[in-house]
Amino acid sequence: MTINSLTKAILAAASAMALAGTAAAQCPKTGGTLTYLYHPEPTALSTVATSAVPVAIVATKIYESLLTFEGAGMTPRPGLAESWTVSDDQKTYTFKLRQSVKWHDGKPFSADDVKYSIEKVIRPFMSRGRVYFGDVEAIDTPDANTVVFRLKAPVPYFLSVFQPGETPILPKHILETIDTSAAGPIRQSSLMRQPVGTGPFKLKEWTRGSHVILERNPDYWRKGYPCLDQLVLRVLPDGAARAIAMESGEADVAPMSALPEAEIERIAKLPHIQATKEGAEALGPNMWLEVNLREKPLADVKVRQAISMALDRSRIVDVIWYGQGTPATGPIVSGNPNFYNKALKPYVYDQRAANRLLDEAGYKRGADGVRFRLSQHFLPYGETWVRLGEYIRQELGKVGIAVDTKSVDLAGWLKAIYTDWDFNLTSTFSHNYSDPTIGVQRTFISSSINKGATFTNSMGYRNARVDELFAKAARETDKTARKAQFDEIQQIMHDELPVIFLVELSYTSVWNKRVHGLITNGISMYSSWDGVWKD
Amino acid sequence: MSPTLTFIVRRLVQLVPVVLAIAALNFALLHLAPGDVADIIAASTGGSSVEFVEELRRSFGLDRPLYEQFFIFIGRLLVFDLGWSHIQQAPVLELVAERIPATLLLMLAAIVVAVVVGMLLGILAAMRHRGWIDGVLSVLALIVYATPQFWLGLMLIVLFSVTLGVLPSGGMMTIATQMGWLARAADIGRHLVLPSLTLGLFYVALYTRLMRASMLEVFTLDFITTARAKGLSETRIGFVHAARNALLPVVTLAGVQIGHILGGSILVETVFGWPGLGRLVFDALLQRDLPLLLGVLLVSSVVVVLVNLAVDVLYGLLDPRIVQK
Repeated sequence: MTINSLTKAILAAASAMALAGTAAAQCPKTGGTLTYLYHPEPTALSTVATSAVPVAIVATKIYESLLTFEGAGMTPRPGLAESWTVSDDQKTYTFKLRQSVKWHDGKPFSADDVKYSIEKVIRPFMSRGRVYFGDVEAIDTPDANTVVFRLKAPVPYFLSVFQPGETPILPKHILETIDTSAAGPIRQSSLMRQPVGTGPFKLKEWTRGSHVILERNPDYWRKGYPCLDQLVLRVLPDGAARAIAMESGEADVAPMSALPEAEIERIAKLPHIQATKEGAEALGPNMWLEVNLREKPLADVKVRQAISMALDRSRIVDVIWYGQGTPATGPIVSGNPNFYNKALKPYVYDQRAANRLLDEAGYKRGADGVRFRLSQHFLPYGETWVRLGEYIRQELGKVGIAVDTKSVDLAGWLKAIYTDWDFNLTSTFSHNYSDPTIGVQRTFISSSINKGATFTNSMGYRNARVDELFAKAARETDKTARKAQFDEIQQIMHDELPVIFLVELSYTSVWNKRVHGLITNGISMYSSWDGVWKD
Repeated sequence: MSPTLTFIVRRLVQLVPVVLAIAALNFALLHLAPGDVADIIAASTGGSSVEFVEELRRSFGLDRPLYEQFFIFIGRLLVFDLGWSHIQQAPVLELVAERIPATLLLMLAAIVVAVVVGMLLGILAAMRHRGWIDGVLSVLALIVYATPQFWLGLMLIVLFSVTLGVLPSGGMMTIATQMGWLARAADIGRHLVLPSLTLGLFYVALYTRLMRASMLEVFTLDFITTARAKGLSETRIGFVHAARNALLPVVTLAGVQIGHILGGSILVETVFGWPGLGRLVFDALLQRDLPLLLGVLLVSSVVVVLVNLAVDVLYGLLDPRIVQK
């Protein structure tokens, strides 16, 4: 037996054991109601029209995708698909679907549902649909339990597309009754408010402004699951009130930074509470100072480097975010085990060096000590961002950059940054997702310089090498080569600073210790929670 | 027709142009701000293409000229159609109808707390004029008046929910438990205590001061002297003879302040997670959900106008001379 075949044998045995384990597995305890808190209230119970956090947390308990995922690195596991095979040229993906799966209204689930959801809804109308399924030539359904995706070219991240929050499988028999030719009717369809899914929980009651109750799906395909009887989302708009509800034990879970940063530390120390930053690796929020590169002085890389050195990332994390984050080094967050370039170091806080660079770049201080003036917008997401804006103004002021801060609401901010490009600096953040082609590429490639598209390349950043590397990596089937391509991208961006990378924010989830089984993968709050149980 | 009825009908007819004018003004003001709901929706999907945003705009009718949008809006209003909320993905009328009972309940409870408690404390303070009770009440009123509502709400939660554990910290009812209507009413009542106190206490302070001043003025009038001469007890004079006459300014002010209380409910509803209109309007504003915002503002203005009408009628009952004039 060669080492290789030995490894294979061990792996096979291990996976057989894992499968056997799954078959024998059962809930340590069945029953009970889990209450979690969030604000804002979800606007729909499906992630088709929006992937906002509150929607995704609740919708993923109702709708499922072909796969589920395990671990921070998001290893694909069976979901609605029992098994799958990939052809040698990596252009054909064949999924064997689970039999005897039923929709919440009792109708049987089949391959037609998969084909219909992706072709009629996800690809045309989900915001990342074209990225995910743009290279799909055809979806075949040779029988009721088989779906075959034929791709025009290999898509290296194709399996990670089938996450429950990203590609929910919807019921064809209901979609057929609505007009799927435009976004409007789909957004207005009853499916968004009265969901019919295959997941472990189904909607019992939604009282707007107050709560959503999901109840156990008695016909769930995974026998003996879910463990809980009910899942209740309570909408509590005030951050302090949410913290109090966790403290008093009225609520069980505050997922994904549902508590204000200022409260998390205090609540996490309570004896009945557990808090973790784990379980959000595959979202990877990355916060930066977006810069308008179209005009001087920000077009000058030395100026950007100087700004980068003039800001103290540790202080931003500690003081403004109450420790909820780590200094950022580049476009890919360090929590992503598959793609992060470990060689990168964050810019060191050194105002003297910043001053020197600005002098070298030719921006001497005037009589009033000011080198030049910049405008700054801050992301209108609340207090924290205002404080960040104040901190940036203060630090840049010390190196001779006068900053005028502008305060606008979200719609005004989006228009100024992404439609009018009328800004110098603005704070913002973006999600990495589990694969950089999905989450990182769109911000930095030159083809996303489009007026009016939100959260894209508002900087006007163009680098032919970066474009080329992203294009290659989107097709690269060799894992090592692909990692090398992303490493180079990260190195270039670290040096060139198309934006000033500041902080990898962390989502801290907080729960009462009587709750178990919450953290299972890199996007745990978007998992189905079928195995979550309560003492 | 009785004069009261004529009065009510005339006021109701006047309501139509007032409400339409309010709607037109709101529409114009809200469209002055840059950016629209399509941007917000596109942003909530975490980045999207220009085509996607344009497609949204087209399907919402936001690509039409503003005057066209305005006439569509007014035309719908005339048939009581408040439009569609693109953010909430539901008809505006349905959303508002769902929320209005909660807000009315909260407002009513707060007004009752404010007027009843304010009146009683005011009478008490006036009857113990310059005594220690008067002093203590005046200082307390001043403190409550100066306390921010959201902070007062949080402190009440800390005291009654966390420390004492006797009242729920938020929400309108116990979720996910079945109970009979009587138990349900009691449950809602328990949930109502803290928010209505928070919202009402500010006005308690106001009405205490007002009632006190009004009472002191009434005490100088001849009929009080007559009552005293008849040998009536001070308690009877204060509560029966003086109070009814001193109440008019309080009722007037309460009527004027309905709109204010509706505004204050935004904060209180936020702190207590109370599912009412205040929060709906706040969320709508942040998300540039104009149809919803316009709908809530319109319904609120109708509520304010109607409540003012009710106050005027009540005024007539307290002092019949007013209507007959």
